Amino acid sequence: MDISVKKRKKRITKALLIAGLLLFFLVNVFPFFWQVRMSFMYTIDAITMPPKLRFPPTLEYYREVLHDRMFRSAFFNTMLISLTSVLISIAVGAPFGYALSRFTSGGSFGLLVVSLIFRALPGMVFIIPYYYISMNMGLYDTPLLLILITTATNQPFTVWMLRSFFITIPKSLDEAAMVDGCSRFQAFFKTIFPIMGPGVATTAIFTFLSAYNEFMLAQALTSTQAMTLPVMVSQLTTENIRYWSVSAASSVAIALPAVLVTLVMQKYLVKGMTNGAVKE
Amino acid sequence: MSSIEFQHVRKQYGHNRKAVIEDISFEVRENEFLVLVGPSGCGKTTTLRMIAGLETITAGELYIGGKLVNKLPPKERNLAMVFQNYALYPHLDVYGNLAFGLRMQKRSEEEIRRKVEEVSRILELDALLDWKPGELSGGQRQRVALGRALPVRRKSF
Repeated sequence: MDISVKKRKKRITKALLIAGLLLFFLVNVFPFFWQVRMSFMYTIDAITMPPKLRFPPTLEYYREVLHDRMFRSAFFNTMLISLTSVLISIAVGAPFGYALSRFTSGGSFGLLVVSLIFRALPGMVFIIPYYYISMNMGLYDTPLLLILITTATNQPFTVWMLRSFFITIPKSLDEAAMVDGCSRFQAFFKTIFPIMGPGVATTAIFTFLSAYNEFMLAQALTSTQAMTLPVMVSQLTTENIRYWSVSAASSVAIALPAVLVTLVMQKYLVKGMTNGAVKE
Repeated sequence: MSSIEFQHVRKQYGHNRKAVIEDISFEVRENEFLVLVGPSGCGKTTTLRMIAGLETITAGELYIGGKLVNKLPPKERNLAMVFQNYALYPHLDVYGNLAFGLRMQKRSEEEIRRKVEEVSRILELDALLDWKPGELSGGQRQRVALGRALPVRRKSF
């Protein structure tokens, strides 16, 4: 009898857990689902009250969005900015994170904390100086400016994440390589570099998404030339209901690349790359 | 093989902490074997790591083959070491693991192949040459770790 009570308790907990997760899922996903639905509707159907359950579907707004010159240039800008900033952050963050994972004296930890403080400051704090400096340097409204800034704001995070990843790779691996005749640099490139794929992939996804979704700074520091997707879509979100479907279609369209990148990268997120390297 | 000599070596982590090794002096002559025995935490591994160049020496002098090596990086000491936790290269197969040190010495592929085959025969690893460390049993891994130190004719082990 005791066992059956325990079993029942377990089952109730499980049911509650599932119900909770389902609710969480609905609250988060429903608005997006509603938006996807709206993006396939003619505006006149989309704004009818009560909402129509059956409607003639259309791709017209997608066509409109994808043929829009502004949208294309914003897409190009966003991709350029995000990918370049990922490349730079990883190229700088990997050796930096590796060094901090291997040399753990007080000074190196201090560096980490300082970088975190920089990260902790709200982005808002930087807007006016960034604006002023970029205006004076002639960088305002250029992709280069946003590449520099997204890289700078993402760098602490990249370093932290890569450092935590490198810590999980046993030190004795590089030491073995050094005894085998490698310098510190060769040890990194011959033993750590080939197995850091999963850590780099994970970091790259997060850095990419953060750069891709960056809104506040892009909004403040661009006008037309370097406008990014989130900024452009936000401008379509007007009170004018005529544009609701276009706005919905463009929101869905800009979600797709992010989802795609995540799906493509996730297969590199396999664990166990150091399997068998050391005795646990 | 060459000799190893410790002269009043001291090892201390941090400035204010107690020394791990207070003052150690000994000599291992050519072709001698030395076994260090002691309770855990007494400094056996630290001593080995100082010989390999993986730990700095706080004070005193360390000679290998009569040459002062205090500041010499590991790769120039020409030693071989079997790690307690094996430290196999997970992305290389057994052949790659055994050949790594030889490749770093820029030996010819022909020579490398001959030596690796010789070592793998001795350690009965010849059937496993294209296996990755993750696919090996504990004992097999240990033999690979051991084998990695063998093909390179080192001055000291």
